[in-house]
Parts: sequence; C-alpha cells; structure tokens
Amino acid sequence: MTHFETQICSCLLQAHYGEIVAKVGTHLIRTGCQPLRLIANDTETPIDQVKKALCVLIHHNFASYHVHKRGFVEYEVHCAHIIRILRYPRYIYSAKTLYGDTGELIVEELLQNGKMTMSAVVKKVADRLRETMEDNKTREHSETSNTFVRLVQTHFLQKCGLVSESVTAEGSQPSRAPTLITDEKEMYTVPNLSVVAQGKRRRMSEDGTEPKSKRSKPEHSDQEMEFVGKSGDSGGGIITDLHRALASLARATVESVVQERFGSRSARIFRLLLRKRHLEQKQVEDFAMIPAKEAKEMMYRMLSENYISLQEIPKTPDHAPSRTFYLYTVNLLPTARMILQRCYKTVVNLINRREYETRENKRLLEKSQRIEAIMASMQATGAEEQQLQEIEEMITAPEQQQLETLKHNVNMLDSSENQVDETIFILESYINTTRIEKEVPSKR
Amino acid sequence: MTGQGEDVNYILALKQELRGACKKLPYYIDHVVTKKDVERYANKYQENDCKKDWIPDWRRLPRELKPRIKRIKKTNTAPMVSQPKKPQTVTNEEVIQKLEVLEKKDSEHKSDEETEEKEKNKDDEEDEVAEEEYDEEECEEENDYIASYFDDGDNYEASDDNMDEATY
Repeated sequence: MTHFETQICSCLLQAHYGEIVAKVGTHLIRTGCQPLRLIANDTETPIDQVKKALCVLIHHNFASYHVHKRGFVEYEVHCAHIIRILRYPRYIYSAKTLYGDTGELIVEELLQNGKMTMSAVVKKVADRLRETMEDNKTREHSETSNTFVRLVQTHFLQKCGLVSESVTAEGSQPSRAPTLITDEKEMYTVPNLSVVAQGKRRRMSEDGTEPKSKRSKPEHSDQEMEFVGKSGDSGGGIITDLHRALASLARATVESVVQERFGSRSARIFRLLLRKRHLEQKQVEDFAMIPAKEAKEMMYRMLSENYISLQEIPKTPDHAPSRTFYLYTVNLLPTARMILQRCYKTVVNLINRREYETRENKRLLEKSQRIEAIMASMQATGAEEQQLQEIEEMITAPEQQQLETLKHNVNMLDSSENQVDETIFILESYINTTRIEKEVPSKR
Repeated sequence: MTGQGEDVNYILALKQELRGACKKLPYYIDHVVTKKDVERYANKYQENDCKKDWIPDWRRLPRELKPRIKRIKKTNTAPMVSQPKKPQTVTNEEVIQKLEVLEKKDSEHKSDEETEEKEKNKDDEEDEVAEEEYDEEECEEENDYIASYFDDGDNYEASDDNMDEATY
C-alpha cells in the first residue's frame, strides 16, 4: 500500500473506531499478514486489546483471517475497504433517494454495525421509524422487510458466507447458510453517467465481469465518446461500454485538474495533446496559438509533475539529439494514478486540518455544548425568558463569532472531503477497469 | 458534477452525524482506561453500558480471539483474557502458591501441578486487565524457565566436551 493510502486508513480508523483499532489496522497494512502474537509484540499493545481490535476489524469487513499452512492464523487488512468509509454518507443518501427513509435507515444501520442478521436490522429500523412517526407497528415491519429484500435484490446489501469452524482457528470454505447474515457490499454510488441504461447500479457493481462482457471492440481515437452502441447483428440491443465511459470521465477529471492547477492555457495544451496523441514542441505552439517561450514553460512544468510525458523517436541509429523527434504525449493511466495518490494525500490533509481546528477550539466547543445542555434542561423544566437569556449571554459575542467561523471551516473541510471522494471514485473505477482490460489479451 | 446544493448539504450532515455516532458505538475502543483510584462523581453519569454490549458472532471468528469468560465480579470490564495453549494465567496468590509447592516437590511432579491448576484456573476470578497482563507475562516467564530448565541442563552436559564457551 502506498504511503498516503496507509495514512488515510490510519486517520479514518482512528476517527471512527479509536486509537487501538487504528494502531492494529495500520500496522497490518504496513506488514501484510501477521499472526496475533506478532501483532501484539510489534505494536506493543496488550494482547487482549489486539484481540478486541481484530474482532472489530473483521466484523466490519476491514480485515480477514486465514490459516497459514503451518497451522497458525494470520490476519490481513483490506485498505480499499477502509478508504470506502469516506463514501458511507453517499451510500446512505442514494439508498434514501431510491428506497425512502426506510432504505436510508437500513443502510445506515448496516454501515455502522458491519454485519447483522436480517431480523435484527428489520427490528431496529422499524423501531426507529416508529419513534419518529406514530404509525401502525405491524405495517412498518412488513414494509421494512420488503425494502430490505429489495435492497438485497439490487445488490445494495449482500449476504455473508458462513464459515465452518475447525479446532484450532478458522474455517475452511465459506458456504451459503439458511440463516441470513448480511452486510453492506462495497458498491458504487449513483453514477454520474446519464448514458447508462436502466439497471445501472447492478452494472456498476464491484465485480469486473459485467463490464467485460459488454465491451465492444478496441477503441479508436474518434470513438472515444461512443459508449452506447448496438450489440451484434440482432439490431435490437443497446450495450454500454463502461470502460470507455469511465475513461472519458477520468479524462474530463484530469483535464479539469490541469485547468485548476496550471491555468486555462495549459489546459488548452493538455486537451490538444489528448486529441492529437503525439505532438512536437513546435506543433503544440502552432496549434495552441501560444508564444513559444510560454508554451515551453507550461509544458515543462506539466512534464515535471508527470501530467504529460515525452517520447523520443530517433531518426538515426546514434540517437543524436538534433536528429531525434521529441514528442509530447498524455498517458492517461499513469497520470490518473498519480492524481489519485494526490487525492489521498488531500484527504489526509483535510482530515488533519479539521481535527486541528476542532482541537484548537476544544475549550470553546465544550463550553458551548455545556450551555446548550443547560438551556435545554432549563427549557424542559420551564424557565423564564430572562433566565434563558442570561444563560445565552454566557457566550460572549466574539466567542460566538469564533464558533461560527469554526463551524463554517469544519463544514467546508468536510464537504471538500466528500468532493475529493467523488474524484477518487472516478479515478479508481477507471484505473481498476483498465487493469482488467489489460489482463484480457494475455489470457487469449 | 455533484449537482444541487441540497444533496451536498444532506450528505455533509450525514457524514458529521456518522462521525459523532461512531464514538458511542461499542466498536469504538478507547485507549486503555487507567485504574480508578477514587470513584469519580462524573463516572456515575457516564453511559458505559452500551460500550460493552457487543458480542461478536464467534462462529465467524478464529477461536484464539475469543476471551475466557470471567465470573461476573466486575461487570464493567469486558471479559478479555488471553488463552494460551499450554501455560495458563494465574493470579498472584496462585503464583506464590505455585512457587512454594515447587520448592517442596520434585520437578517430576510439576506436570501434575500444571494440569491441576489448569482445571482450577477455569473457575478462577481474575483481577483487572493490567494485572492480567502482568500475570500473563510473569506466568510465561515462569513457564519459560520451567520449560528450558531441562534444556539448559541438556546443553550444559552436551557442551562439556567442547569447553569453548563460558558456562553460566
């Protein structure tokens, strides 16, 4: 795992599950697989706490275990699942838009609790719904059950396999069991693609087999935007080329990153290179209509940050520089990877900054919470208007201002995290599907 | 690409709510709680119950992660005692007991003692977490000592021929 991926996981685990879980989880990311005792020794954590932490990690599908051939149990952590914590609010929201409040609560319960049986989820959600509205109890249960089933059918939720326990440690093959234990599948959110046909959520599921089957022939440069096309000779079917769609989205994302980072003229050069594939320095200057000196500067800057790359094509066998073509080009995949790492780093920075802001104003926040609590209890016991006002004035005006600024900053940082996660989604989807495509030719 | 501001605000609120809710769930493991010397007034009004409610589905987890169930003397602390294969955790009194017994008896009777203590330990009360850790280490050291007692003896006799290395 890369440095930034490890850092993100560490931050997220700490914020959501506490210091011990973060320590154990981060350690396992760095070392790969390890048995229990080794984890305890290396992290210098008491073994019972390591056990608790591992239970939590496994329960929430962040970690898994297997039996080493020498007979002991090894644990490993799945980085990608932890990073997915950033997307939980989006999952809940898309469940809400499609399945209403019931769907929202079901997904929220499962995301918070990792794994639950269907009966437990339905009961909890029905109770919560009943609290908010004065409805008929039995009706809520059946409605909740139905929503649950629909969520499973559309792959929002997934049943866990059951493992059989052996004597020493874990079990062998997971097998489907009649008793339902379900968890939230790592799924893609409501896609931004408007071209994808109905059932798009299923198509965007984690396994890469679906896009593979729907892929059309190798793309040409002018077919970049075509990701809806006819299938075969039957004439009636419409297929979507998900990979091309993702590539197109990734391209657009990278273009906008270049624009924000280097300015609109550099973006123009970048788009030019994307369209024309390979260009010489002189050609770029002509096509983009930018003076030579500035064009050179911009291109070297983009080159140094790996947004574009240089390819040498020698005219003569001795590779003399004066007789060699130097072509600029854009390689989308490595560029996307680089930007993805920057996204991870950005999220880490955002989280750190938000926590810093909260820490700096901790005293003030606690004071404001205390005062709110006092006011709430006083209102409940029926206090006079004047008394309430007195309490309110315990927070001075500058402090109030400070609180407002803090709230604004924290909200901004949080929203930024969400937005960066969107970019992460697009880039990761593109990178992962590209990898699959590259594997296919070798199998032939 | 995100679309309307409503989405953004709702998702933001959800995110902050999730973050706050996480800390109250039993999955949130704080740093080790230091021993309470004096019972704090504030503790009476803090909700610690929900934190200890989570019992994992042990069918899905390796047995080594399962704690030994304590007798319910302290309801606050969660039962988390490691269960090593051969050596067993013992309390301080038992350690002293064991030492005394070992002083008197022969080393040949040691295995009997261990099995007796194994059965005894399953019903024993345990002290708090910190002491358990201490006991575990102590016990392991003890058992290491016992386990290597004969080994050292063997090596000692074997290396008599060489006489190169310093003996202890």
